Amino acid sequence: MMDVPRVVVTGAGVVTPVGIGLEATWQALLAGENGIGPVTLCEVDDIASQIAGEVSDFDPERWLNRKDARRMDRFVQLAIAAADEALEHSGLDVRSESEQVGCIIGSGIGGIQTLEDQFKVFFDKGPGRVSPFLVPMFISDMAAGQVSIRTGAQGPNVNTVSACASGADALGAAFETLRRGDALAMIAGGTDAGVTRMSMAAFAASRALSTGQNDDPEHASRPFDAGRDGFVLAEGAGVLILETLEHAEARGAEPLVEMVGYGQSADAFHVTQPSENGEGAARAMRMALAKAGINASDVGYINAHGTSTPMNDKFETMSVKTVFGQAAAAIPISSTKSMIGHTLGAGGGIEAAVTMMSLREQKIHGTRNLVLPDPDCDLDYVSEGAREVSMEYAISNSLGFGGHNSCLVFKRFTA
Amino acid sequence: MPLEVVVTGLGLMTPVGNNVSSAWENLVAGRSGIGTISQFDTSAYEYPIAGEVKNFEPSNFIEPKLLRRIDRSTQFAIAACQEAVADAGVEVNSERPGAVGVLLGTGMGGAHLMIEQQRILDEKGPRRVSPFLISHFLPDTATGLVAIALGAHGPNFAVTAACATGGAAVGEAAETIARGDAEVMITGGFEAPLTPIYYAGFFAMKALATHEDPTQAVRPFDADRNGFILGEGAGALVLESLEHAQARGAKIYARYCGGATSNDAGDMVAAAEDGHGIAEAMRRALVRGEVRTDQISYINAHGTSTPLNDRVETTAFHNVFREDADRLMVSSTKSMHGHMMGAAGAVEAAIAVLTCHHQVVPPTINYTTPDPDCDLDYVPNVARDAKIEHAMSTSVGLGGHNSALIFGRWEGN
Repeated sequence: MMDVPRVVVTGAGVVTPVGIGLEATWQALLAGENGIGPVTLCEVDDIASQIAGEVSDFDPERWLNRKDARRMDRFVQLAIAAADEALEHSGLDVRSESEQVGCIIGSGIGGIQTLEDQFKVFFDKGPGRVSPFLVPMFISDMAAGQVSIRTGAQGPNVNTVSACASGADALGAAFETLRRGDALAMIAGGTDAGVTRMSMAAFAASRALSTGQNDDPEHASRPFDAGRDGFVLAEGAGVLILETLEHAEARGAEPLVEMVGYGQSADAFHVTQPSENGEGAARAMRMALAKAGINASDVGYINAHGTSTPMNDKFETMSVKTVFGQAAAAIPISSTKSMIGHTLGAGGGIEAAVTMMSLREQKIHGTRNLVLPDPDCDLDYVSEGAREVSMEYAISNSLGFGGHNSCLVFKRFTA
Repeated sequence: MPLEVVVTGLGLMTPVGNNVSSAWENLVAGRSGIGTISQFDTSAYEYPIAGEVKNFEPSNFIEPKLLRRIDRSTQFAIAACQEAVADAGVEVNSERPGAVGVLLGTGMGGAHLMIEQQRILDEKGPRRVSPFLISHFLPDTATGLVAIALGAHGPNFAVTAACATGGAAVGEAAETIARGDAEVMITGGFEAPLTPIYYAGFFAMKALATHEDPTQAVRPFDADRNGFILGEGAGALVLESLEHAQARGAKIYARYCGGATSNDAGDMVAAAEDGHGIAEAMRRALVRGEVRTDQISYINAHGTSTPLNDRVETTAFHNVFREDADRLMVSSTKSMHGHMMGAAGAVEAAIAVLTCHHQVVPPTINYTTPDPDCDLDYVPNVARDAKIEHAMSTSVGLGGHNSALIFGRWEGN
């Protein structure tokens, strides 16, 4: 029985409301920029929340010809842009070893715009006019499918869905695929394009969205702040290239960071509310740390789920205290969502890329818009802006509707 | 070392029966569950044929308040999981917290709920949209609800891989146990695709079968096959580490040997003509399970009854099994229950488990005219008693997704 292989990250690509590309996004996050604005992608005049994090200058034809772009929903287009960047970054030549490269890209909501468009065709013009591409454009595994078709990756291939934790679970599943020897490299992450009329209406109906700051979008996403009133829906994609250390070294690729842990749990409590004291999230973090073989005190940074809903931020804070005890106050925690909003299934992918950059540069971005302290959220959320740190390990949390909790652990790379 | 995994519980909700015993009885008898669609107005179609679940009483499984909020697909999932958990006799609440996880797959999620809410949005405006839509439409809804109902606090997410979803979910759940992240996983797949809009989308793809007699519409591997037929339902399996199952004295149906997924990396809709993608999944599953081709006795094929699929799959069987291919028994139970989309891989995995358990192979029905491109033993029309050491289940999906699973006979009971 061979040893469990070490897994490293050798590339990353992101498309977010603060930038297209990893470097653009990272610099914007360090500068504390805002990616939230009035919704332009769909009609929201009669919806309670009218703001979102849109990738405003995304032109799919930068990556795809017009015909292919028309046959892909936006969530797939975003994933392709992120995957292209990640592959270029890693220098991985997929076609030279197609069968050894897999692809797991999580999407929470799939091609919902395609579905809405085809509903309109169906109601207005009848069933005979519905597109033959409805099903293959809508189903949520199509990001993983199309990225494989584009890149030639013929290895393990699925989509993991766990609502807002989908991207994190995709990375977790890819990590485990490499550790059990089922592939040598994995293209993995998350994508979602949920800024659509139906999705805005439905999230607003569930009372999860910020509705009080339509006139001041820049200050609407305020994780851990006393004035937070819900999350801001956003879109984007984040894709990482994971590979075994041996494989990366053999091809002369530079390991950016090491991925060392993954934990996953269910609250088994309520469909939309976190379990008492955030115990489900705490179990996911403990499981991830145990798998990494480290103590809570080894963790130097937490990229929080931090959605800016009253419930999430309070319960996530509790769960961090449960796991880290007295040390919790000393660990810097920041929420990328304070700047880009909540990209649903993409969040885990984007935030893993951000966590990777944090370890690489020993710098963390701040939590924007945290001005009014909330007594229930009394940890160090890096509210003053970016900070230089010294750390070996960082974790990224993702917590989803349905009570899904995921935690990823990354380590600064040392041979 | 990966831990050994066994199957200790099964649940089925299918067009051929609403539980394991009735579905198995009908499959072995070669009875079709395909008929004319009753769920929506089909006057626009000449041959509105599908595999519907009959006499489904969701209130037998789900309390009224929850029932009002959830999609038909989720209802199937809950019903099948309840049967599987009861069959396994697992007391979830007495297990260590986190020891039991749930991992279910669905291709499309809450289709019925979405169409109903889209109509409300268009006719009455966004403020009338249900607050429960998002949390009950996403593909992971059922995994969350099953976990809540049972108190299963372990790993919990959904897997989607188009028509290979169910197989991919079962494989991922087995790996979760094999690596020690859970001791018991409730897994499977579910789908309720019979809504007017999805049906219109599939119809537009020109892939649906036509036949005067609905029960003869699905004819996998037959020369006169002309398309697939949508089916609905769910399949659930309780997987467990061998150690855990033996410690509690559980009955064991079969061993889980290995599984894999792959992608053709070819076309978005059509499977590659040489079948390299599904062949790759089968080879990986054989390696993972440390099973040789001559040890596989039976394959429950994807066998959709489209001209392309059945030919491609047959080519792949030849390429993987070579001289062992002629000895294989291959059947498509879709000939009886239709193509249950995201549920298919799980339902067919359960059937593969049952073939190992009962040592009986259900037939491919409606097989009358051999196709020179499909030249294997498809167990035509009549079930067969046979010695089954290992059974494989294959699934092939839109987007190039493939999965393969292998189960082995359990002789220890």
